[in-house]
Amino acid sequence: MFFGQDTILLIYEIVDVIISGLTIGSVYALMAIGMTLVYGVTKAFNFAYGEFYNMAGFFAWILIVPLGLKTGGYVAVFMMVIPVMFVLGYGVEKLLIAPLRKHDDWENKVMLLTLGLSLFLASLYMVVFGARMKTLPPFIEGTAEVGELVFSYQDIMIFVLSIGSILTFWWILNRTRLGMAVRAVAQNPMGAKIVGIPKERIFAATFAISTAMVGFGGVLLSQKWFIDPGSGADVMIKAWVVTAFGGMGSIRGSLYAAFIIGMLEAFVGWVFGLSYGILALFILLLATLSLRPQGLMGKGA
Amino acid sequence: MMPMLQVTDLNTYYGQSHILHDVSVSIDQGEVVVLLGPNGHGKSTLLKSICGLVDKVQGRITYLGREIKGIRTEKIVNLGITYIAENRELFPYMTVLENLKLGAYTKNARAHEKKNLERVFELFPRLLDRKEQLASTMSGGEAKMLAVARGLMSNAEFMCIDEPSLGLQPSLRLEIFRTIREINRQGKTVFLVEQNIPQITELADRIYVMEEGRISFAGSKDEALSNDHLKEIFLGM
Repeated sequence: MFFGQDTILLIYEIVDVIISGLTIGSVYALMAIGMTLVYGVTKAFNFAYGEFYNMAGFFAWILIVPLGLKTGGYVAVFMMVIPVMFVLGYGVEKLLIAPLRKHDDWENKVMLLTLGLSLFLASLYMVVFGARMKTLPPFIEGTAEVGELVFSYQDIMIFVLSIGSILTFWWILNRTRLGMAVRAVAQNPMGAKIVGIPKERIFAATFAISTAMVGFGGVLLSQKWFIDPGSGADVMIKAWVVTAFGGMGSIRGSLYAAFIIGMLEAFVGWVFGLSYGILALFILLLATLSLRPQGLMGKGA
Repeated sequence: MMPMLQVTDLNTYYGQSHILHDVSVSIDQGEVVVLLGPNGHGKSTLLKSICGLVDKVQGRITYLGREIKGIRTEKIVNLGITYIAENRELFPYMTVLENLKLGAYTKNARAHEKKNLERVFELFPRLLDRKEQLASTMSGGEAKMLAVARGLMSNAEFMCIDEPSLGLQPSLRLEIFRTIREINRQGKTVFLVEQNIPQITELADRIYVMEEGRISFAGSKDEALSNDHLKEIFLGM
């Protein structure tokens, strides 16, 4: 025996913290990529992002609790909620955001409009669902034990599904015509127009993909925690912190940033306590932005 | 015979400034028509107006007898007109192959994507060697070729080419002109903008000159070469 009992316990604890960091990181990555995508392609910032997270949570709740959906379980929930979120995102872009593009300085107008939309949706949830938080049944119960380590199947599923959806997103972006067109518009809007890519439709599709992603994250986390009608702003800020740290508009940046922040939160939380994790996060963000305003992988100011 | 492209009394504006004044040009199928003129006098604006890249346009533009003024660029591209920009407008963080594939984005182009890709690689073998390279890492001459090749991928019959020689050294200029001649031999109609390159007259079937947003000369290559005013200002002879 090379290590004493204490050392082994410490190693187990560290492994546990790393796994928790990876799980948090994977969800952050999913949410931040959805947010940075819209910024990267349309150069506008969506303040209502967090409300779409809650909206998907409420959709899932409606299906499972009042409607009592049993067949298919969460697979059926995802198959219904994600397309609805996609269509909804498309509609919001076409009806509310696209008309603003006719004006000068429309990027700022989009921010004001989405801020208004976010306040509207938050109040709507309060009126329709009440202030009480809602809970969803976990999509899987039980734990797996490896030696002294205990994993909940729920956390494993969250990790697997987050990574799976990021890989799906990556595949859409790099291997489909729609994804190629999205990247083309992001890299060179004029070039995209010249080759005949309908820019307006790509903007709407981008917004729709982003809404579907945050919706996926919304269902994923709502079944672990709860659905809080007032939490949209917190979700939006969290996604923004990851996005800004990684570099606004950079998908790779968001990916790295999400795992760095996930790990940081997990380790600082483990050593100093949970609230210090949040503090460390903001210190990291402020330090990064003051030294490197474009974030980790941003394209420069 | 009806011209392939006809522009009649075109007036174009950027915001408050009036750029093109009553411009009329017509181009027949199979021609290479060159539009000469000093920098900043509206040559590019005419090409962009044809391709639906300028918002405020008055007058008539017909392509194969069909009015195309005011319709969206993606529809114009689908009808068979392509614009090759002077500053190339490539997708910098995509490979050569991805840039070419995006050139074939419209419905009409997609149907001929495979054939056009083969043809483009025949015309520009260097692009085949570099198909996995990012567009942003290419030299000026190669990027120019990629821009022309991407335009060909659209399956266009009518190519608007904006200053292909800009920023290229003389040997590369000749190479790109030779390629444009070859493209024309394969049946494409070319409407080309240039500033003051003597070699361009070799390429042209007909020449227009634009000064201060108006057409100041229209005629054959020989007429242009014997016009003292033109010789002096554009051909440097």
